[in-house]
Amino acid sequence: MSGIRVENIEKLFGKAKVLTGVSLEIRDQEFVVLLGPSGCGKTTLLRIIAGLEYADKGQVWIGDREVSTLPPRSRKIAMVFQNYAIFPHLTVLENIAFGLRMQKASAERVKAQVDRAATLMHIENLLQRYPAQLSGGQRQRVAVGRALAVEPEVLLMDEPLSNLDALLRLEMRAELKRLLAESRTTTLYVTHDQVEAMSLADRIAVMNVGQLVQYDEPIRVYQEPTNTFVGGFIGSPPMNFLRLRVEGGQARIESLMLSLPTSPPGQEVLLGVRPEDLEAYSQQQPQSFPAEVRVVEPLGPHLLLTLTYEQQSLKATVPPDFNISPGQTLWLKPQPGRLCWLDPTSGQALSR
Amino acid sequence: MFSLNTRAIYVLASLLALWVIVPIFLIATLAFSDRSSVFAWPKGIFPQHFSLQTIGFFFGVEGVGRAIRNSLVVASLTLLFSVLLGAPAGYALARYRFAGADVYRVLILMTRAFPLAILAIPLAVQFIHLGLYDTPLGVALVHTALALPFAVLVTSSLFLGIPKELEEVAWTLGCNRVQAFVKVVLPLALPGLAATAIFAFVISWNEVFAATLLTLRERTLPAFLLGALNDSPLPFRFAGGFLLIVPALIFIFSVRRYLFTLWGIANR
Repeated sequence: MSGIRVENIEKLFGKAKVLTGVSLEIRDQEFVVLLGPSGCGKTTLLRIIAGLEYADKGQVWIGDREVSTLPPRSRKIAMVFQNYAIFPHLTVLENIAFGLRMQKASAERVKAQVDRAATLMHIENLLQRYPAQLSGGQRQRVAVGRALAVEPEVLLMDEPLSNLDALLRLEMRAELKRLLAESRTTTLYVTHDQVEAMSLADRIAVMNVGQLVQYDEPIRVYQEPTNTFVGGFIGSPPMNFLRLRVEGGQARIESLMLSLPTSPPGQEVLLGVRPEDLEAYSQQQPQSFPAEVRVVEPLGPHLLLTLTYEQQSLKATVPPDFNISPGQTLWLKPQPGRLCWLDPTSGQALSR
Repeated sequence: MFSLNTRAIYVLASLLALWVIVPIFLIATLAFSDRSSVFAWPKGIFPQHFSLQTIGFFFGVEGVGRAIRNSLVVASLTLLFSVLLGAPAGYALARYRFAGADVYRVLILMTRAFPLAILAIPLAVQFIHLGLYDTPLGVALVHTALALPFAVLVTSSLFLGIPKELEEVAWTLGCNRVQAFVKVVLPLALPGLAATAIFAFVISWNEVFAATLLTLRERTLPAFLLGALNDSPLPFRFAGGFLLIVPALIFIFSVRRYLFTLWGIANR
């Protein structure tokens, strides 16, 4: 097993630049999720690491080998595709054994590895079946089992759960996490689903328009986004951004003064705060500001409120038994220590 | 139970089917009847005296054996050339985006736009120069030209139906491109390729115009029959007709499922 390192990857499709100098390092045995909206280049980056596409510039390293020009078969990787790509003319057993047969592994090794992969994936009783006789979830298991059976140095997964229905996806997500923690294979996992990314990753690499925007542990990406894109993309509902006036090195909301980590370049500053980090009160409290409730959406575990403060819209969540109706005014108390400060012109976080 | 519309469609379809089936049926039954029933009038609907007399007589005629052998050689060569040239072209069209791919697709069809009648004379002259005139190889080349557009377009849709990811996953599991094709794509494409091959065979087996113009002594079966039919006795005509129709029918019937999918009609 080994880590992955890509350096200054650039990729053009025709005249469109889909990757503009991406560098990323994945440690040995780490589970990294590449997260971004569709078209951000995350799948292209994964395919470049797999060798299915070639970068126009930059290098790919797996372990201490430079593999930039090697074909996929020489990179010691395995890949799981979105549509699983199970060979329909082979049984489950032969699908899992495919990579080992290509390595001309001995019969004992093939049997041992297939058994191990099948046990790991709970598909021991399906080995003699053909893919047409399997459900979507079972195919998914076969695809992962086939990838793990060759004991790759690096496992690459391209939205492997997105073809499953919601319930099954939840189940497979937990199972994948258990499985990959057990097998300790270095994994790069592509998804556009931020919940999946949060739940699985050791570190999340957030991409947007061909660039790596933030690369950090899930909780840090969630709480301390480097710019408004990350804050808005991760979290459902997304992070609130309030434009505030700066007075004497502090940001002002009504009577509430909040101190800033550094003085911002302009007269205004952007406050980033998660909906769950706004405590709501029906009476005025110290350290709070008023906002008018526009919409109340009961979601079960909590109520989602849409409010306005000085024509700026924001979201907050309150307990489901909170008595509130549209038109009322609430007092919101931002949780100190959970606030982000960004530059309203560039959208970048102020340095701490 | 059925609406008037469905009923009308069924009646029309039955009429159409009868229009095709009755002559084939008559030819088939009379090919296996004895001499007297071939000449009898009115003829019975069902074969009355089963006998191999008529067929036997047909095979006894000089030149028939040779024509059948020529037809088999020409059709087999056509099959071989069409698949060997058509499948790679189809694969390229299916898998690669290259400059001029669409033009190429249209050009392939354009080959069918030239009437063979216009091409036949220059071809005959060229073939005489090249020493291909009156040889099975020469005829097979022309038949390949006729079957190739079909082979290319059909195999291209065939390969398009096999997800690229299957090949890609094979690459990541240790295959080079050729191995991935042989181990993954070929097994999946085989039934469709067989259908393509059989169709090329049938196109050649039934083709009469080029075969007549480009041969003199080495006639294929249709060319031979066309020359001989008018001055032959009835039993010869029935037996000859039967031999022309039946292989084509059997082949088409055996690959009908693929022909449906190839022509864009839903599978099954």
